[in-house]
Amino acid sequence: MNAAVKKANQKKIAVLIALTVVASVLYLFVSVNMKYFEYAMSLRAPKLIVMLITAFCIGSASIVFQSIINNTIVTPCLLGMNSLYTLIHTAVVFFLGSGSLIARNTNLSFVVDLVLMGCSATLIYSYLFKKTNHNMLYVLLVGTIMSTFFSSIQTTLTRVMDPNEYDSLLATLVASFSNVNASIVAVSLVLMAIIIVALRRELALLDVITLGKDQAINLGVDYDKTIRRLLLGVTLFIAIATAMVGPVSFMGLIVANLSRQLFKTYRHTYLILGSGLIGMLILVGGQLIVEHVFTYSVPISVFITVGGGIYFLYLLLKQRRA
Amino acid sequence: MLHIKNLTKRYSEKTVVDDVSFSIPKGKVISLIGPNGAGKSTVMGMISRLIAKDAGVVEFEGRDLSAWNSKELSKRLAILTQSNNIQMKLTVKELVTFGRFPYSGNHINEEDERIIQRAISYMELEEFQDRFIDELSGGQRQRAYIAMVIAQDTEYILLDEPTNNLDIYHATNMMKIVRRLCDELGKTVILVLHEINYAAFYSDYICAFVNGKIARFGTVEEVITKENLSEIYGVNFEIQTIAGKPLSIYY
Repeated sequence: MNAAVKKANQKKIAVLIALTVVASVLYLFVSVNMKYFEYAMSLRAPKLIVMLITAFCIGSASIVFQSIINNTIVTPCLLGMNSLYTLIHTAVVFFLGSGSLIARNTNLSFVVDLVLMGCSATLIYSYLFKKTNHNMLYVLLVGTIMSTFFSSIQTTLTRVMDPNEYDSLLATLVASFSNVNASIVAVSLVLMAIIIVALRRELALLDVITLGKDQAINLGVDYDKTIRRLLLGVTLFIAIATAMVGPVSFMGLIVANLSRQLFKTYRHTYLILGSGLIGMLILVGGQLIVEHVFTYSVPISVFITVGGGIYFLYLLLKQRRA
Repeated sequence: MLHIKNLTKRYSEKTVVDDVSFSIPKGKVISLIGPNGAGKSTVMGMISRLIAKDAGVVEFEGRDLSAWNSKELSKRLAILTQSNNIQMKLTVKELVTFGRFPYSGNHINEEDERIIQRAISYMELEEFQDRFIDELSGGQRQRAYIAMVIAQDTEYILLDEPTNNLDIYHATNMMKIVRRLCDELGKTVILVLHEINYAAFYSDYICAFVNGKIARFGTVEEVITKENLSEIYGVNFEIQTIAGKPLSIYY
């Protein structure tokens, strides 16, 4: 990369960081009643942190996922973690009731989500990938089938469910940043750090992997193993984000592509950072608008899904023209 | 040295490469020819570790290929296939820089920089070096990939159908480059070719495949004969000697 482009990209990162900081500060302090300052902070600060972590998880996982599949219009939603999350929560309410310990205790339900999603991710995306001779398309196909399978079971369960139970279930199936506490945040951060450290070698190979399988092997990359480990990391990152706040579906596609458009480089240091920062900006800024302009009448996931859908169509049309 | 012994590849029941053994002489251009489905590209894939072999040994410098560390191997042996679709925005220079990855990873030092510049000018790509790969013509793009392989600085270069999709001007230039890689830079070049005359004119040795087996292996003069080619391809051939090389006419 020549020096001018490098400088321009560093500047873009700096601007994104500045914007994210501004959005975060606004989110914390807009229309705070100074009399109840501490109380307001105790509500807003954890929420902000959760949003920042989620955004980073989804943003970075999406870039990595797109790069290992070598396709820029896929999202890690294809891995089926969203529908698995929905199914777990529906099953808990259905079989144990909305008054059960798992349904009421957020810490417990976080652990249950994480363990189930983590185990199935390891099983499906590590073991199966090996079994199918490292065929990425099989894995995607399995992901899609799993998603449909989980959603079908979930729909069946909700059909026969008690309407009152369903009502209380519905609240947990929409992405929300409010019911997360400090211990969940701490656990998530530690897990993310472990994953990043464990995958540091593979992450450094991402630039070469975008050249395609043949070229990567030619340049001495142990391709199959690298892809398998990265795929597992992506799934775990998505699992962490989903277990924390619920399904945040379209966001990955938007932030990853905005980052690619903004940086126009193959360097993943910039792409991942950019994607994470753009995600933070969208989530924090969006939540700011939801809380202060629409006064909670529209959940943020609606904005993200509508915006994501329009952006996805734009990407498809643009690809066809090119 | 590169020795291939009893190499076999099966796809379910069908044997596409059947007990192939031959040795590749160093510092020469060797072309693998043969009709479609004869297994030449598969052999190439197995020699370069891109395709897993079912049986046999590919012995490189006295050691089996699978015993080599992939990174060490990538400093000795380079392969260029036809499946090069890059989704990224990548300039020519950035692509060539990847050739140094086995040596320096993501951190390029001054010596790498010199080697990269030399490879770019060797392929006469100076004026394109900051252009994006996807904005180049087929011939220019092919040259950019060759420059990357040159920067990789390996003794062995494997090219899978390098003249595919190129017009006769660019294809002929490509073959001249192959010759120069061997004569000027002392590389051993192994290529899969469809055009028999390019193989006859520009290579030292020819290995002809039929049905997953070696039909003929030898110098150009030994392999390119009327009888051999008619037997290999199942069509009528005439051989004429032009500029000291046996060129074929088929009909």
